[in-house]
Amino acid sequence: MTAFSIRRVPKLGFVGLLGIAPAFAQASEASTDPLWMVGIKAFLVIFGLLTAFAYMTLIERRILARIQIRQGPNRVGPDGLLQPLADAIKSILKEDIVPRAADKLVFWLAPMISVTFAVLTFGLIPFGPKHAFFGFDPWVINLDVGILYIFAVSEIAVYGIFLAGWASNSKYSLLGSLRSSAALISYELGLGMSLLAPVVLVGSLNLQAIVEWQHTHGWLILYLLPAFALFVVSSMAEAARTPFDLPEAEQELVGGYNTEYSSIKWALFQMAEYIHLITASALIPTLFLGGWRMPGFLTAIPWIGGFFAWPYLWMFVKIALFLFFFIWVRGTFFRLRYDQLMRFGWGRLLPLALIWFLIVAAVVAFKLPLSILAWLSALSLIGFSIYVVLGAKPQAPRRTMRPGVGD
Amino acid sequence: MGVGMAVSFWDIVAAVLLVGTGILVVRLQNAVRAAIALIANFLVIAAVYVGLEARFVAMIQIIVYGGAIVVLFLFVIMLLSAARANVGEDLLPGLQAPALIGALGLAAILIYALTHFQAPASPPPLQGGLPQVLGPLLYGPDRWLYALLAVGFLLLIATVAAVVLVEPERLTRSTEHPAHPSRGPQPSPQDEREVVGR
Repeated sequence: MTAFSIRRVPKLGFVGLLGIAPAFAQASEASTDPLWMVGIKAFLVIFGLLTAFAYMTLIERRILARIQIRQGPNRVGPDGLLQPLADAIKSILKEDIVPRAADKLVFWLAPMISVTFAVLTFGLIPFGPKHAFFGFDPWVINLDVGILYIFAVSEIAVYGIFLAGWASNSKYSLLGSLRSSAALISYELGLGMSLLAPVVLVGSLNLQAIVEWQHTHGWLILYLLPAFALFVVSSMAEAARTPFDLPEAEQELVGGYNTEYSSIKWALFQMAEYIHLITASALIPTLFLGGWRMPGFLTAIPWIGGFFAWPYLWMFVKIALFLFFFIWVRGTFFRLRYDQLMRFGWGRLLPLALIWFLIVAAVVAFKLPLSILAWLSALSLIGFSIYVVLGAKPQAPRRTMRPGVGD
Repeated sequence: MGVGMAVSFWDIVAAVLLVGTGILVVRLQNAVRAAIALIANFLVIAAVYVGLEARFVAMIQIIVYGGAIVVLFLFVIMLLSAARANVGEDLLPGLQAPALIGALGLAAILIYALTHFQAPASPPPLQGGLPQVLGPLLYGPDRWLYALLAVGFLLLIATVAAVVLVEPERLTRSTEHPAHPSRGPQPSPQDEREVVGR
């Protein structure tokens, strides 16, 4: 049975996993997979992440092109679908230049740290109920301290960036590194604080338990909207995406920490950045949007509820939504200035996350009804809208003061 | 390892890695490389914690020490002594003899502890050292709650002191002029830039 199952594992990475028939019957006993199966699943996750990275570069360039009303890469293969392959061949075959004044060992170590620790987190994310993967569990490892593990590994991953900048022995690279370490210290606090809200409300650090809690109580975004918003913003900062991509600001720092990198080492940094993005896009739905479960209101419809209840399908839909959202943000917003990032991290992100965490802790400690949190979430949305509307007002007179328009 | 405790292969691996990375931290001439060795050391310590069924402490070890504190170390090394990270000169030459005495004393204490250690007959249920178990132990009112609050208060004082040390004239200017107690500190150029920025 098992050997037969292995042969049937599709070789197309995550897209292939869609064809797996879900196991709806949930066994109650805690199951631990044999070690060889964990190894196969870890291989599948890494293989899938690398495939997804290659095609994310293409998808991102095409979507950005659409946002900027141009074509994007569409020459290699049908609709540019073979572009990632061409990019891979190019980056492997290019000359690998190491600056003479660089610290060779650290220069070589930095991209490895980046990619290794980027890959390590995705295996924790559950893609379905127990035994949904050919009778095995659809996650690589199920840790009872799952959220802390993700937090720890993503912190270590940042070392790749600023060791790279230091080892390059170049001013631009060092500036990029310093920016990334300073930014890390300022927004990791907000990230951790916003993560504490779901942990305290659910009472577990395990991702499986958080998904199950959302199945019985409703999605956490309904109760923890501010924490959700803060976590999404901090995730963007963590992946060094565009509003926060100061470590590699091309216009100011040439390429930031990866200025001196070329060939496959440079590609490894890109790989790490996209894998962080994919992991964040999978983590946010797991924590706040019900994980692999389909939206509750759809289960009421008989035909759809039965047929489209594949766990893998909904996880992929949610991941794709957030990936698109991140690309959309990149195509829409400017990069923050350095002092703006600092003030945002310490002055907005951390206090708001702290206040919201205290509210959630009070609700849990005094055993208040959950509906209070839902009402407070709605109130915070209204308050934020009012803030945005009022905050936009002072710009109105400036618009009339343009020469030739006012007076 | 204490009396009656079996030393496994992985214990030896962990010990060799811990001592090896520790020696690297002290002996490496390059400060950044020493910091990398320190990260490796913290990761091995975390692995040892996991082996001891203390997963929560292991993760905290990586987050707090491996992440936040070494990040600060590296930040300071790069910001302040980026040009001097490679000189490898002994900045505090007189410390070697006291350090040797300290190390010998620590070794004596450790040998005493290992030879006199008695494993409890029924070890307390840690359940992986999860926060559900650790929390009531730490924050229970009859336990360490007030000690923790006192430590937190101390850290707050240290933070305030750091701010005072960094910007003494901004905080002391209003106290130097008792004639104008209501006049706050003068806006620094940074504040003016903020106003203009808005």
